[in-house]
Parts: sequence; structure tokens; C-alpha cells
Amino acid sequence: MGFTIKKTWSDALVLGLSVFLIFCLIFERYIELPALVGWFGNWHPLMLHFPIVLLVVAVYVSLVHKKISHSLLTIATITALITAITGFFLSLGSSDKGPILFWHQWLGAGLALLTALWYWLDSQELGQHKVAKGLQLSIVLATVLAGHFGGMITHGEDFLALPNSNSFEKIPENPLIYKHIVAQIVDDKCASCHNPNKQKGEYTMTTLKDLIKGGKTGKAIDEDHPEDSEFLKRLHLPKADEEHMPPEEKKQLSSTEIQLIEEWIRLGASDTLQLNQLKNDQPLVALVNNLMRPEAKEKWTKLPKVDETMVASLSSDYLTIKKIASTSEALSINLFASPNYEASLITNLEPIAQNIVHLDLSGIPIGAKEMEFIASCVNLEILEIDKTPVTDADITHLKSLSKLRSLKVYDTKVSDESIAVFTALSTLEKLYVKGSDISTGGISTLQKERPSLVLDSGINAEIETYFVEKDTVPVVEEKEAVSTK
Amino acid sequence: MEEKKDNSENPLKINRRHFFSQMSAGIGSLALGSLLIPDLLKGGQQSLGSQPLGIPHFAPKAKRVIYLFQAGAPSQLDSFDYKPELIKRMGEDLPDSIRNGQRLTSMTSGQTKFPLMPSAAKFKQHGQSGAWISDFFPHMGKIADELCIINSMNTDAINHDPAITFFQTGTQQSGRPSMGSWLSYGLGNENQNLPSFVVLTSRGKGSSQGLYSKLWSSGFLDSKHQGVLMRSGDDPVLYLNDPDGISRSDKRHLLDHVSSLNKIHHVETGDDEIESRIAQYEMAYRMQMSVPDVMDIKKEPESIIKLYGEDVQVPGTFAANALRARRLAESGVRFIQLYHQGWDQHKNLPTDMAGQAKDVDQASAALILDLKQRGMLDDTLVIWGGEFGRTSFCQGKFDEKTFGRDHHPRAFSIWMAGGGIKPGITYGETDEFGYNVVKNPVHMHDFHATLMHTMGIDHEQLTYKYQGRRFRLTDIAGNVINDILN
Repeated sequence: MGFTIKKTWSDALVLGLSVFLIFCLIFERYIELPALVGWFGNWHPLMLHFPIVLLVVAVYVSLVHKKISHSLLTIATITALITAITGFFLSLGSSDKGPILFWHQWLGAGLALLTALWYWLDSQELGQHKVAKGLQLSIVLATVLAGHFGGMITHGEDFLALPNSNSFEKIPENPLIYKHIVAQIVDDKCASCHNPNKQKGEYTMTTLKDLIKGGKTGKAIDEDHPEDSEFLKRLHLPKADEEHMPPEEKKQLSSTEIQLIEEWIRLGASDTLQLNQLKNDQPLVALVNNLMRPEAKEKWTKLPKVDETMVASLSSDYLTIKKIASTSEALSINLFASPNYEASLITNLEPIAQNIVHLDLSGIPIGAKEMEFIASCVNLEILEIDKTPVTDADITHLKSLSKLRSLKVYDTKVSDESIAVFTALSTLEKLYVKGSDISTGGISTLQKERPSLVLDSGINAEIETYFVEKDTVPVVEEKEAVSTK
Repeated sequence: MEEKKDNSENPLKINRRHFFSQMSAGIGSLALGSLLIPDLLKGGQQSLGSQPLGIPHFAPKAKRVIYLFQAGAPSQLDSFDYKPELIKRMGEDLPDSIRNGQRLTSMTSGQTKFPLMPSAAKFKQHGQSGAWISDFFPHMGKIADELCIINSMNTDAINHDPAITFFQTGTQQSGRPSMGSWLSYGLGNENQNLPSFVVLTSRGKGSSQGLYSKLWSSGFLDSKHQGVLMRSGDDPVLYLNDPDGISRSDKRHLLDHVSSLNKIHHVETGDDEIESRIAQYEMAYRMQMSVPDVMDIKKEPESIIKLYGEDVQVPGTFAANALRARRLAESGVRFIQLYHQGWDQHKNLPTDMAGQAKDVDQASAALILDLKQRGMLDDTLVIWGGEFGRTSFCQGKFDEKTFGRDHHPRAFSIWMAGGGIKPGITYGETDEFGYNVVKNPVHMHDFHATLMHTMGIDHEQLTYKYQGRRFRLTDIAGNVINDILN
């Protein structure tokens, strides 16, 4: 009789742990661990060594000697299940499960459950069945893979990668344009086909000398006539063109990368050129800064924690304070015109000043007090003070804003006097000045000083004329017609 | 004794008690596991993920949306999807291999021939991007470099009601919340004195289909998220103003009393909709101050009035609504939806579509320019388009001057601008007949997912539990189209 019903403590434990594991996996998104239970997760790195060794031994014994000790299998199964469960607890601590953790989790859990299945087959005296043999082999395979992914989590993805495989190095504070930027782009996008071992078109791109020298078609970088360089020509050709580089199916350069290389060649393609040797108005500076700017997620990690009750008490029907994203402490504040506006509405925001990243005061009658407060918002990136009575004197307060990216001062009395302040705001990317007192001369001066600044002084005159001229109904009469209605 | 014991282990002798004693460890583990779920027995609504409501899931590119909906479905072949092949093949039958059994509406299913008809307007390339735009839309041509034209939109519905319902709510059947309501639910109000979802309607002279409030309904979401229809003229929101003889302080007293009565009722019945109603009365009270100011375009300078075109001073036109939309956007309304009716050109397409285009062309383009000079295009997403496309074959009499086009769900065009969308690109391609998408298709669910993404919302995370099931705008589908994001 193949089937027997034996009831032992180990059967119950294996069943219980298996069911518990399956339950956890199914209801993962609803589970929140109490601290003590979460602490068990920390034992995962210790536990995991037992099943790895025990399972490999058990499979080996089973394949070679046929009959294995049931207690060996029992311990292997129980430790495998406990490892999977503690691992599950540990994984709940990480907010974002990447693909590696995903595979590790499912392989590990699958492995534990396969082992439980083997345990059951063995207790049914089916341990030597063909199916059981297949099962045992897949257990070993799953052990190797799960162990590998687990290793990648603790030791880093590249731990087992062969040395010298290129990865983008972090760009230092004051980079050498060639070594830290251009060479990295070339390494990433070109060098896989153009290196000393695989010189496609007899062209090697791994050193500056070879990069300039070129290959079959001759000199790649022409320092005297940079715009005629073969290297640039190839980059700019349409993607479908035979001559275009990199080949259509390969990873392409981004437009920023192409511009960057172009500017670097224009400046002489030198390997000694360094960022601080460039004047601020060089387009290359903006391009490099652009490349170096950390992603939004990184830059907001240092903000202090926001006190929610404080935010609630400061908010009103006319003052909206919101987190920019649930993943950060950065705040966006929007003030709407109210019948009884007071400067204190803004100056009271002092406790959360550091968290303010976006401040919208469009159309609010702000004055010197408010501007002083704004100067203390050191993390401010977007400031909207359009349609306000701000003056040139007020604008000087903005000098301390070292992170300001976008500034709106349109429809204000701000004039040419403020141009020096705008020029000095080195992080500024966008400036809106339509309807201000800044003269056209002032605008061209500013644009010359800061070529990369997106400076919007209103609708392009030619386009505006096209829109306005087409209107055939006299505007004034129409206005009367409406108001008498 | 020995024999008896063996006997009891025979599988045929297993009884209920065996089952329970054997399974006790398993059931016990289930119970243990269930202790790890904090809200297991609480029930009621809760958001699916750990994402709190009212805050974007990640930093958004767009803070608000202005949706210029062209109800009735403008023809993509006469606007943005340039098909020179149709000129060459004019009058030839659409090959069966292209139509491939596609269902037709009852309006053309009786036709024996499906003669191809080229665009009623000439096409030109515009701007540095070289985008193809027809001469029906000269002003849009001027701002081509701001637009992301998508020529590969496709939907499942072939008739107006299911198609427009699909666009608005993510499903063809009525009853689900509109996308504006979803965003209001997910992000909350920016300005506490205005609704977060506002609707403005206008109507052209072309053949039009009905518009009904279910399109901006909040469905099963709290009714405070429903779109508020603002009418043209002096009284944008019906019954918002106090009757003659009632002062603002009288109104305050009235509201306080009504509110206290409502609160008692809420305690008695526990119906949360009562709380929404209280909140709505308060909102209306504040709107009495804010709405007239926002909707009043008399304060706009002449240069702006001229920019939007001659219609802007006529209340109820698309141009007037477009300018109001900008004012609403400035005042922190999150989702502003304009509908312009009259795009259902089953016949007389050349004349009717020209008229429709004239209604919206300048104002739509002016809105982009106006937002741009205020720096608002950085965080305002503008969308222009209808609920489906139109056929490349002619409906009715084959006549260049009076032809029409039937409904076509498989491919159509819309454009988007601002709010984190790449400017100056044309995305997706159709075949040479403009009939099927051949490259980079964008399904409705993808569109919704992308729209929500620009607003900082993960479309899979924003859900609402109703009648035992968690619903979301994209149902169980939708991929963010990363190629068009900045």
C-alpha cells in the first residue's frame, strides 16, 4: 500500500511552514510586519547556508545511494522553508523590489516548496520515482540560481563580472572634458567595435591619439576645421544612412552627448581642457552641468522631515502646501489672492522654509518682508513672482538662491538693473520676463552672458503678427457689444 | 491491536476528523499569516498600494491638464496624418487586405464600394520639426515645434457614445469615473476655492453628437470629484449667486445652520455623501467669490484678446473657453476640459471641417503661445483630439466637394504639448492608406497611463474599491509611452 497516513511532528511542521510561505507570497502587498517579526528577517543570511549544504548533500546521496535518511531530508526541508520565510520578511523592508530581488524571491520560495514536495514524496516511499529524480535535479539548479541572485544582492551586481568591463564612472566636481566625459561616452557607445582587439574600419577609439587619427577613411577629427570632422559627420548622418555611426541597431548617442562632443572638438579636442577653464557662457559648460546634475530623487534626499501637523496648521483656503511627491520631503507651495492678504501668511512658513522647492506667489502683493523670507528658502528651485509689485531692489534678495532653476518675473516692474542678479544665478535655466521693464538691449546682454538660459520675453513678434493680423472684427466694438448685453 | 491500527491508516478510512487533524498545521499557519495583514478585517475602501492620496506618487512633470476635446471625431486624414498615396489612388477601392474584415457602422455597411478619398486640404511641413499639418489648421502650423503629434492612436469603439465614454472613463460602458475625477481623487485640489475639475462646452456649425454630464461624472468616486460645468456668460455656474436681498453674511448663517443639521443626519445614517454635500456647500460659498473673477475675460489686455482671435469676445465660443481655460489653469484648477462639438463629418467634410477648424485653430494655438510666455507650458499638459478617427474611404456620394468619412477606430491623430511631453515630434505611423497603425501604436489605455504619468501618478497604484473590486482608470491594461516623455 503506497499511501499511508502517518502523523508526525515533522509532517505537521513542513505542512505548516509551506502553507505559511504560500500565504505570505500571495498576500504580500497587504502584509505589514510587526517590528519583532521583521527582526526574524535578519536571520536570513545565517539560515540560508544550511539548506544549501544539506540539499546538495541530500540530492547527492539520493542520486548515488538511492535511499536517504529521512531525518536528513526533514532538516533540509525545514531549514529551506525557514530560510524562504525569513528571506521574505527581510525583503519586505526594501521599498522597491528590483528584478534581481524578484528572481531571488521566487526562486528561493520555489526551491523551498519543491523541497517540501520531495519531502512528501519521500514520506510516501516515492523518493526513488523518476519524478522525484527530476525534482531533485531542479532543486540543485534552483539552489545555484537563487544563491547566485542572493549573492548579487549582498555583494553588488558586478561582483562576479569579469574585471575591466566598462561602467560609467562618476563625473568628478571639476572634470577633464576628454577623460571624464568624452572618453566615457566613446567607451560606452563606440569602443565595443573600435578597440585594439576589434578595429572595425581600422579605427581604434580607445586613446585620444587614435581617436583623432581615424581609420580607413582618414583623419577622424580635423582640429583646423572642426565642423568638417569625419567623426561628427558620421554622428549627424540620418540613422538609416549606411555611414551613420553607431550602426542603426546599436546603442545611439543622445543629442546632448553629440552636442557635447561637438563643442569639445570645436574647442580643439584637447585632453587637458577642464571645466573650470571654460567661461560660464560657453555652451559646453551648460551641457556638462546638465550631465552632472543629479536626478531629482537624489537631490531631495537631504531635506529635513516635514512636520505634517505644522503643514496642516499653516495651510488655509488660500494657501496650499503639498509634497511634490510622496517619496520626498520637497514641498510645493501655492498662494492664491485672498481678500485679506498679509505678509505673515508667507513669513510664517519659516519652519518649513528649507523644504520649499516650488513657490508660486503669482499675483500676490508681496514686498520686502516676503522677499527676505524667499531669500531664506535655500532649496528653492522654481519661483513664481510674476504679476507682483516686486522691484529691482527686491530682486537682489534672490542672490542667495543657489538652486534656482526657473524664475517668473513677467508683468512686473523689474528692469535692466536686475540683469546682473540674473546673470549671477548660475543654476538658472529658465527666466520669464515678458511685460517687465527689461529693455531689448538688456535681454540681448543677458542672453550673451548666459547663452544656455532659456529667456522668454514674450511671443515671437512674427508669429504674434500672424495671429493678430488675421483678426477682422474690430476689437473695440466687440467689447462694447458684450458689455451692453 | 496491531491490525486495527493499520486498518485506520488505509486511505479509504480517512474521515472528517482525520482531515482536520492532518490539516490543523496548515490551517493554523494560515491564521498565523493572516495576523500579518493589519487591515484584514476592517473592510471598506483603501488604496491599493501604500501610496497616500492627494500627493503625486513621484515628482510630476505636469501640475494640470487642459484637454481640448473635439467631440464628434475630426478626420486625421485631413488634419495631421498626411497620406499622399490617397491622392494617387483617389477613387480606387480600399483593398480588402487593408480593411481585413474591420467592422463598419451601419452607415457605410450598405456601401458596395469603398473609394479612397484624399485630404480635403493641402498638407505642408511646418517648423524645424517638419511636422505635417493640413491647411485647415494654419495657426497650429505656426506652433508645430511645440506639439507632439501622435498619429497612431487607436480605440476599441466605433460609435460616438461608447468611444467618448471610453476616452473619458477608460471603459465603453457608462458609470465609471471620468479621468478628470480620477486626477481630482488622486491629487486633490490645488486651489480650495475652485473645483479641481472644470468643464467648458462649445459647439460648431458642423454635425454634432450629444454631450452629457455622465462624461464628467465622478462615477463611484466621491461626488466632490465630479466635473463642474461652467456656462458661458455672466452666470457661469447655475444657482451659484445669491438671490436678490440675501447678503453674504445671511448666506453664512444659512450655511452654518444647514451644516449643523446635516451633521446630525450624518451621525444618524453614517452616509459619507452627506459630508461631501457639506463640503460642496462650503466650496460653492467660496466659489461665489472666486468664479466671477476667474471667468471674467474683460481684464485681459487687447493683445491677448487679439491673440485668441475674433471669437474670443463672444461668450460660449471655443476661443472664449480657451482663454477661460488659461485663467482657470492659472488659478489652480487641475483638470480643465473643453468640448467643442460638430466634428462628425459623414458628409460635406470639405466645407464643414473647414468651419470647425476655423472655430478652434487659432485659439488652440494661441493657448499654447500664451501658456508658454507665462512659463506655464512647463507644467501644463495640453491635449487636442477627438474620440476616434475617420475612414480613408468616402462615405456617400464620391464627390470631392461634398464627400464624407465614416467612423474609424483603428487609427487617429491627437496632439499633446507641454507638461513633460517632448515638443516637436510626430509619433507613430499608419500604413499608406491611413487605415491601420504600423508603428508605435498608442491604445486608449496607454494614453491614459501616460497622461497620469505626467501628473506624477502610477496608473496601477491609483485605485478605488467599489462593489468588492478595485477599479482604476486603465482597468487592467495600459503602458506609459516613454518615447514621448521629456
